[in-house]
Amino acid sequence: MYTSLTNRRKFIKKMAMLSAMTAAATMFPGILFADEQEKGLPDGDINWTKAPCRFCGVGCGVLVGTENGKAVAVKGDPKSTVNKGLLCVKGYHQIMCLQAKDRLTHALVKKNGTYVQTPIQEALDLVASKMKETIEKHGKDAVAMYTSGQSTIPEGYVASKFMKGAIGTNNLDCNARLCMASAVTGFLTSFGADEPMGCYEDIDHADVFVLWGNNMAEMHPVLFSRMLEQKNRRGAKIIDFATRTTRTSMAADKSILFKPQSDLAVANAICYEIIKNGWVNTSFVEKHCSFNKGLTNMGYGLEDNYKFKDKPEKIDFKAYKKFLEDYTPEKVEKISGVSVKDIKYMAAYFGDPNKKVVSYWCMGINQHTRGTWMNNLVYNIHLLTGKISQPGNGPFSLTGQPSACGTAREVGTFTHKLPKGVVTNEKHRRLAAKIWKVPYERIPSKPTYHATEMFRAVDRGEIKFIWTQVTNPLVSLPKTSRYRPGMEKDSCFVVVSDVFPTPTSDVADVILPASWHIEKSGLYGNSERRTQHWDKMVEGPGETTPDAWMTIEVAKRMGFGDLFPYSEENHVEEIYNEYRQFHEGDKHGMAPLEVLKSQPGAIWPYVNGKSTQWRFNAKYDPACSNNEDFHFYGKPDGRAVIWQRPYEPAPEEPDNEYPFWLNTGRVIEHWHTGSMTRRIPVLHKAMPNAYVELHPKDAERLQIKNGDKVKLITRRGEIIMPASVNQRGIPTPLQVFVPFFDENMLINDLTLDSFCPISKEPDYKKCAVRVEKV
Amino acid sequence: MKRLGIISLFVLLFIAFITIWNYSYQTGLKDAYIPLENEISSPKIPSEAGVFQRSEYAFDYVNMPVDEKHQRTLETYYDNRAYHGAPPSIPHPVKQEMSMGGNTCLQCHQNGGFVQKFNAYAPVTPHPEMINCRQCHVTQNTETFFTETSFVKVHAPTAGIHNALPGSPPMIPHSIQMRENCLSCHAGPAAPKEIRVTHPERINCRQCHVPNAIEYSEKSVFSRNNN
Amino acid sequence: MPIKSYLAHPHNGKKNELVQALSRIDQCEVMPAQNKDLLILITETESNTEEEILKEKLEALKSLKLLAMVSGFNTPQKN
Repeated sequence: MYTSLTNRRKFIKKMAMLSAMTAAATMFPGILFADEQEKGLPDGDINWTKAPCRFCGVGCGVLVGTENGKAVAVKGDPKSTVNKGLLCVKGYHQIMCLQAKDRLTHALVKKNGTYVQTPIQEALDLVASKMKETIEKHGKDAVAMYTSGQSTIPEGYVASKFMKGAIGTNNLDCNARLCMASAVTGFLTSFGADEPMGCYEDIDHADVFVLWGNNMAEMHPVLFSRMLEQKNRRGAKIIDFATRTTRTSMAADKSILFKPQSDLAVANAICYEIIKNGWVNTSFVEKHCSFNKGLTNMGYGLEDNYKFKDKPEKIDFKAYKKFLEDYTPEKVEKISGVSVKDIKYMAAYFGDPNKKVVSYWCMGINQHTRGTWMNNLVYNIHLLTGKISQPGNGPFSLTGQPSACGTAREVGTFTHKLPKGVVTNEKHRRLAAKIWKVPYERIPSKPTYHATEMFRAVDRGEIKFIWTQVTNPLVSLPKTSRYRPGMEKDSCFVVVSDVFPTPTSDVADVILPASWHIEKSGLYGNSERRTQHWDKMVEGPGETTPDAWMTIEVAKRMGFGDLFPYSEENHVEEIYNEYRQFHEGDKHGMAPLEVLKSQPGAIWPYVNGKSTQWRFNAKYDPACSNNEDFHFYGKPDGRAVIWQRPYEPAPEEPDNEYPFWLNTGRVIEHWHTGSMTRRIPVLHKAMPNAYVELHPKDAERLQIKNGDKVKLITRRGEIIMPASVNQRGIPTPLQVFVPFFDENMLINDLTLDSFCPISKEPDYKKCAVRVEKV
Repeated sequence: MKRLGIISLFVLLFIAFITIWNYSYQTGLKDAYIPLENEISSPKIPSEAGVFQRSEYAFDYVNMPVDEKHQRTLETYYDNRAYHGAPPSIPHPVKQEMSMGGNTCLQCHQNGGFVQKFNAYAPVTPHPEMINCRQCHVTQNTETFFTETSFVKVHAPTAGIHNALPGSPPMIPHSIQMRENCLSCHAGPAAPKEIRVTHPERINCRQCHVPNAIEYSEKSVFSRNNN
Repeated sequence: MPIKSYLAHPHNGKKNELVQALSRIDQCEVMPAQNKDLLILITETESNTEEEILKEKLEALKSLKLLAMVSGFNTPQKN
């Protein structure tokens, strides 16, 4: 009886909806409803559940359709303010990877060189005993965990609690070090508070979008579509400032190309022009900014155990102005290849008080041996002109991973971080110890290995046990030609948790089968500080287990059970509620779980039931307390810092022997190392393999045609791949571009492991390479 | 007196002309002095640029009412081609035999529009930059064969079956060479009704729709060496 | 058990806010129009008193300009 009643009610509801739609259509001809797209769908009993997308840092809201316990369809969530119902090709097809035949369904333990299927409880016993044994024999700092910006918030939180609170080592870092560490240090040095001040709604207000080395049409396509809509509707301008001509350049109003590494000079030249033409927002700068300079000639971190600490020094506006005299557009044109006219063109948009400008950037600026500086320089431009923290005005650092912000940055799965603050700060250590209920002395005060150094330590034999979760370092690290043999060494016991086999799981001693996205509940935090929750929708195959639960199980086996009193069914909620205590207050308050369950996410600081869309602006941010229009409360004096940062060359520039720049990156079809997207037939068919892009003139000179086999040689190694001429993109002359998703053509065997000394983020965009026709 | 006034006016105008001419000549020199050889120029990528070409009309397409009486169908669309992917032939008498397409064909086929004479909407060309139209597009002047042929049309993709999941965006079932501009065939009143896009205002088509017809790379199933 | 459908007009530029606000209410189902400032609201309540309470809640929404009922149904109480 009950079912027929609900069916009847469902039918009546549908009738009610249809009559409303008819009424709407007579009032507004041509009106469109998102749900109307469902009309043609095979009816059935598809059940739609909300989640954030599994892939990039944009954090689109998706609705996953399940039928008979299987995920069968995906559509954009029309209620999500991020994507308003639209997704990209990866998002629409994400669930198709679940049916891949080579899914890891059971734990595998390496015995005499072959993998033996093992019950998961036994495998976890082995992991725990190995970890314990290593600590007893070699000390706490001989074990390490390497997690991910794709870990959920609870997964990152238990990893941090386990390593720092339970075991007592700072040997925890994550792959987000490879993608947005420079953004973090940029925010901290300029504002003292991490993550963007604005939000995606800026797109609806801005007049000009400046994209700094950022191919948004392929990498952040949903946001790019929102920009294109504003371009068509309101005539907003898109300026593409890059080293490669891409799909973004084709859609942009203006494409400006520069030579690799010279973005530092161009950004300073823009500041020079702003000051020279009197476009400085003087009252804003006087009230809210201070000036600093730091150390220069920092080196590039190429040697093992490299250490660096910046020494900030206060300077005045006059000294800063004097410094900029080295960066007149005329001088910078010679370094960068950007014409004086184009530099003035960009500066004029920033300088025009009637134009609202948003800067977007991602890996072009972050994966840079001077990444922190480059972040600072973009902030300089926005601070000098006062174009910050207002709707449609502001610098916006995009992220690549779905929870690089939510987990890596906010939970703090870095060696120097705690869920609130840093390990070097006693107050922060005391707070963490109190919430974790551990002795305060147990949390070490000194950071240990950042990502690159962690794998160097594995190679050196210092780390004897490493556990990687939700990441594929042997495709994504720079210079894998050193780190793969390093991880293969017998000196280190390698545990890999993953959903699919990867080149990283190939070197594992134990492979743990992880649950995918919708096979577990979780929370992600996207680029605009939006925290989003999803519920488990389908059962995972075999003995697959959520990563957080595997960490907890190992912790229990090592005798830390009292620190992890969570239940298997409900651990996500319990952990999130514990984690929220760290961020209480109006500077970083997180929304309660009930709110996150009822809507497509909320932006922190979540204060008095409201998301804070623009931080540091007294109109929107309740944490501003200085009675001025703006308050940069991250810094003790309430002032944002304008940094004097010079241009310095890259560590390895092209020469006679290696005459080309090597640049690496992504394509729209594949996400990062491709372990998921290559298992989605639609995406694999569209982009089956990697390639090397050449400028048509270089190709002509070397007599290389599209599709020809080409050999790339760097000081680290060599590789053969097909050439791509005049296809997806065109690099500047004497530069080649290779996407890194293809595990059959590992371009990272060739890249250089230099990094930004401040953020320790490697530069995947610049090293010297020779190109030969095979 | 009056004459003097006129002469002085002309003298004044002449002097003004000389100064202005001088000034503009000088500034002209200045511009020419800026060295441009350092600048890297932005190349065009044909396969990528095309997608955005007609995007300025996207909102017009949204607001266009559907003229159901004069819709084309996919069937007539394919009928006009020797095989799937072949250049369509010209199904109507041409205006001027001796002319370049730029000033005849493009009059109707650049932007489309209703043509009273043929009682139909003119299809929009995806490649208006190529103006030697009749290099590839020819008229049909006879219905008979020279000799009989056993040529069979290859199977052309039909609409509505190219999505991988229920409701997911369909893949592109055809090569996009010479047809990079999606909106020219998939939007507007001349678009065959089966393939007319419901959301022409979404300009970045290949954000969601990726090609499914990569002919050149015949790949075996990806297999791992380990395990 | 009343089921009703409405056309809801948001105040200028407050469409998203209204969608968010309405979807937070349990008894409401919202379907925003993609290209117009209008949304369809379907409400489902268990009793007339609940209906009254819901009505008050809806009237209190600041982002809502106008609510026009299109249809209403009442399914008989069957337990």
